[in-house]
Amino acid sequence: MSDDSAALIEVRDLHVWFDLGRGSELHAVQGIDFQLRPGERMGLVGESGCGKTTTILGMMGLLPPSASIAGSVILEGVDILTRGEESVSPHRWCDMAMIFQGAMNAFNPVKTVGSQIAEPMELHGTHSGRAARARVRELLELVGIAGSRADRYPHEFSGGMRQRAAIAMSLACEPKVLLADEPTTALDVMVQAQILELLVSLTNDLGLAMILVTHDLPVVAQVCRRAAVMYAGEIVEQGPMLELYHDPKHPYTRMLFAATPDLYGEDEVLSIPGAPPRLDRELVGCPFAPRCDRTFDRCAHEHPHVRAVGADRLAACHLNDPVTAGAAS
Amino acid sequence: MSEAAVPAPPAPVVNAPRRRRHSFVRDVLFGERQAVVGTIVIVFFTLVAVLAPHIAPYSVTQQTCAPYAGLSGKHLLGCDDGGIDMFSELMWGARVSLIVGFAAAVVAMVIGGGVGVVSGFFGGRTDIVLMRITDYFLVIPDIPLMIVFAALFGRHLLNIIIIIAIIYWTSTARLIRAQVKSLRERVFVKRSRALGASNTRLIFKHVLPQVTPLLIANTVLMVAIAMFAETYVAFLGLGDPTQLSWGLLISNAFQGGAMFRHAWWAIVTPGLCVTIVILACTIVGQSMEDAMNPRLKVGHLSVKRFGLRPIPTMRPAPGRWREE
Amino acid sequence: MAGADYIIKRTFFAIATIFVAVTLNFVLFRAVPGNAVTSLRCQFCTKQFKDALSKQLGLNKSKWAQYGIYLDNLAHGDLGSSYSDHNPVLQDLETPLKNTGLMVTLGTLFSVILGILSGVFASWRRGTLTDRFNLITSLAFYSMPTQWLGMLMVFYVAAWFGLPVAGIQTPDLGVLGPVSFWTLWSNRFEHMLLPALTLGLVLYGEYTLIVRSAMLETLGEDYILTARAKGLKNWRIVWTHALRNAMLPIVTLIALSFGSIVGGAILVEDVFSYPGIGFAVIQAIDRRDYPVLQGAFLLLTVSVIVSNFIADLLYFKLDPRVTT
Repeated sequence: MSDDSAALIEVRDLHVWFDLGRGSELHAVQGIDFQLRPGERMGLVGESGCGKTTTILGMMGLLPPSASIAGSVILEGVDILTRGEESVSPHRWCDMAMIFQGAMNAFNPVKTVGSQIAEPMELHGTHSGRAARARVRELLELVGIAGSRADRYPHEFSGGMRQRAAIAMSLACEPKVLLADEPTTALDVMVQAQILELLVSLTNDLGLAMILVTHDLPVVAQVCRRAAVMYAGEIVEQGPMLELYHDPKHPYTRMLFAATPDLYGEDEVLSIPGAPPRLDRELVGCPFAPRCDRTFDRCAHEHPHVRAVGADRLAACHLNDPVTAGAAS
Repeated sequence: MSEAAVPAPPAPVVNAPRRRRHSFVRDVLFGERQAVVGTIVIVFFTLVAVLAPHIAPYSVTQQTCAPYAGLSGKHLLGCDDGGIDMFSELMWGARVSLIVGFAAAVVAMVIGGGVGVVSGFFGGRTDIVLMRITDYFLVIPDIPLMIVFAALFGRHLLNIIIIIAIIYWTSTARLIRAQVKSLRERVFVKRSRALGASNTRLIFKHVLPQVTPLLIANTVLMVAIAMFAETYVAFLGLGDPTQLSWGLLISNAFQGGAMFRHAWWAIVTPGLCVTIVILACTIVGQSMEDAMNPRLKVGHLSVKRFGLRPIPTMRPAPGRWREE
Repeated sequence: MAGADYIIKRTFFAIATIFVAVTLNFVLFRAVPGNAVTSLRCQFCTKQFKDALSKQLGLNKSKWAQYGIYLDNLAHGDLGSSYSDHNPVLQDLETPLKNTGLMVTLGTLFSVILGILSGVFASWRRGTLTDRFNLITSLAFYSMPTQWLGMLMVFYVAAWFGLPVAGIQTPDLGVLGPVSFWTLWSNRFEHMLLPALTLGLVLYGEYTLIVRSAMLETLGEDYILTARAKGLKNWRIVWTHALRNAMLPIVTLIALSFGSIVGGAILVEDVFSYPGIGFAVIQAIDRRDYPVLQGAFLLLTVSVIVSNFIADLLYFKLDPRVTT
């Protein structure tokens, strides 16, 4: 395991439930752990609905009232989730900032982009008035938008530009961590590449850590050095990117990579049959078992523990347990 | 879905005509329960209206008590300025009010629906012309126009019904047109056309059935509007004096000085009846419209916050939780 | 600039609609069975007199010629002369128009403020009992016929608060000598209060629903979540983001509701004998004073058209996205 004291953020045993009404609830995030070191870029990948967006929303306390949360989010040694909204909100934007999915709508259409970038600055007291306006221009230039565009409205920006403006906005209060939720989905390929490049260079230059949430593996591979793979609300494997690719220790990870079409490759694209399990009921056994190609007896009855499978690598699969590995044929 | 932000289906593009009740009454208030209550109310009053000649305790054409006599065992709701039993008058009044309401609404539905379907289906110049006409009608204020029509064309019940329908068909037209326009693009219409179906057939077999639910919901709302209009016409002395309606009762109470005689039963009761029926129609019509147009937006703000729980340590299922 | 296009289009539409209203006005009043002269009730009208008057009024000419005369007169601000007091219609209606204007403005103010307060409150406490209560109440008021509510006001509220129920000022005010500006206007305000309040109550429901819906819609938008993520507190988000967006439909609604308010004003002025343009209309009906009726109708219609036009302009100003 990595050195705890160096971690910028440590998430421990995070759970999120959504109340569905009529007595049922959805257990969207089921006890996940991970750490993020300063300046590190980490990917959080998985299919739609696996809980990755809910995780980062939960980290910032941006869940709706129908949600309940349990666990700890330890930012620089302090658990910010102890008193819920009260303890989380002071850290918003100044420590953790978010870039939302579909930044097209992250801006209020009736206010100028510049005023919205300046808003958190004035709120948290970092800059105000002329200094804020100057910094807004600075930030826009940083992401490759002409500073004079600060007084324009969001609808006057193209999709890619709006996303960049959203990135600029996220940097307004000099956060330590960026939480990026599918920042390139809904953008066309050329623009995607630019945005990713921008994110990489910014995080390098400013020493920011980043959690990149996406279902798009090539994106993660390009940007992140580490990744955590989520399935049905749990992290089934995490570790350095290259190792996940070359030597996956969980069938889901392996199948995910195999399902990604390689532009020049001649290999068949294998899709993963079946669908993720429903999260409004208690699950017995491994959640991936129904779709796994290497499942065996134990998988149906016993939920796999997370165990270390290498230096800085964790996976939750019975195949890694030396005791039963022999039973898998 | 475990994701917090659920994308909402796009709202249908409909220009809101004036005085249109808005489609969230249902999600707001009520759930189906209230629509059922509304329907019961409407059915109740309809029954009263139909059975009035048989169940009204007294005649409404002959004086049976002292003018503005108060509530009593014999006259449950007192009497009006002409010494006629209020309770019976209310029952008879239901007939006319409801007839005007339903009839005008149906006529408005036919006109509005027809214009809407033709306009939406054929598009092009027909559409433009019809919509221009609709726009003009929409802008001209309803009550002055109603006054002018009624003042000029006579005070018969039929006239009133027609006048109301002529003034209020426009919002239905716009609504139906929007719906038909979006339907036109549907695959099945194109497919039928590819098979050589005629326009008439397309309209009647494909468009109308899809549009009918919305039309019905709109008609229910129109009943409410028509009943309003009837009371206004009656109050301004432009209605049919031979037809006893709730609107006329309200007008009589005013003209007969019920307010100065403290005869609250003459004032409150007819208005209350009208209000209740209008309220019921609004609720039912709105619920119907909402059943066809659910809104799924998640609100991001609330007074309530997300909940905090302690870390679950004890769970029944075996092998479920990690060991430290 | 793209907006100029929009403004020009709307201007044309407004002018065209005014033209339609003018023509409609002409057509309607020429459709009166019997013409203006034959329905003249004057004791000494011999046939020769009537013939001469007919000639003078141009009633013996063709319809088109009459239309031309009508338009010509309008262009000169001549709306004809009243049958009852033989003054120019415009002169007769000037003061009533102002009186109504004041009262209606006050009424709109009431309904907007009540609407915003209850709408924001309802959207805030969505789904709770206060939300439902709020909505039921506003819906109930909305379902009441305006004149009936006015009568209830007179009956129950006026006496309780000692408010006047007729006219625009106490008849003996100023009889014994000049009164101060303050006295005069506070007296007038008292007289305006109940009619305006009636209008406000009947119409605030619509604002409540609009505000609530706009707020809920806005509150579900992504930028609200962004604002929350930026660390803004709830009330601040409501104030700077949500309400600002909710203002768009509110402002539009105010201007568009002008049509309803005009209708309501007529009824309310009848109940409270308030000497506004609505009251003038009613008196004109009673006296068969067609020129006044015609003039009033035209004035009312044109004001509604103009206010719709203003709504279009305002909406454009407030929402930078509108260009079509």
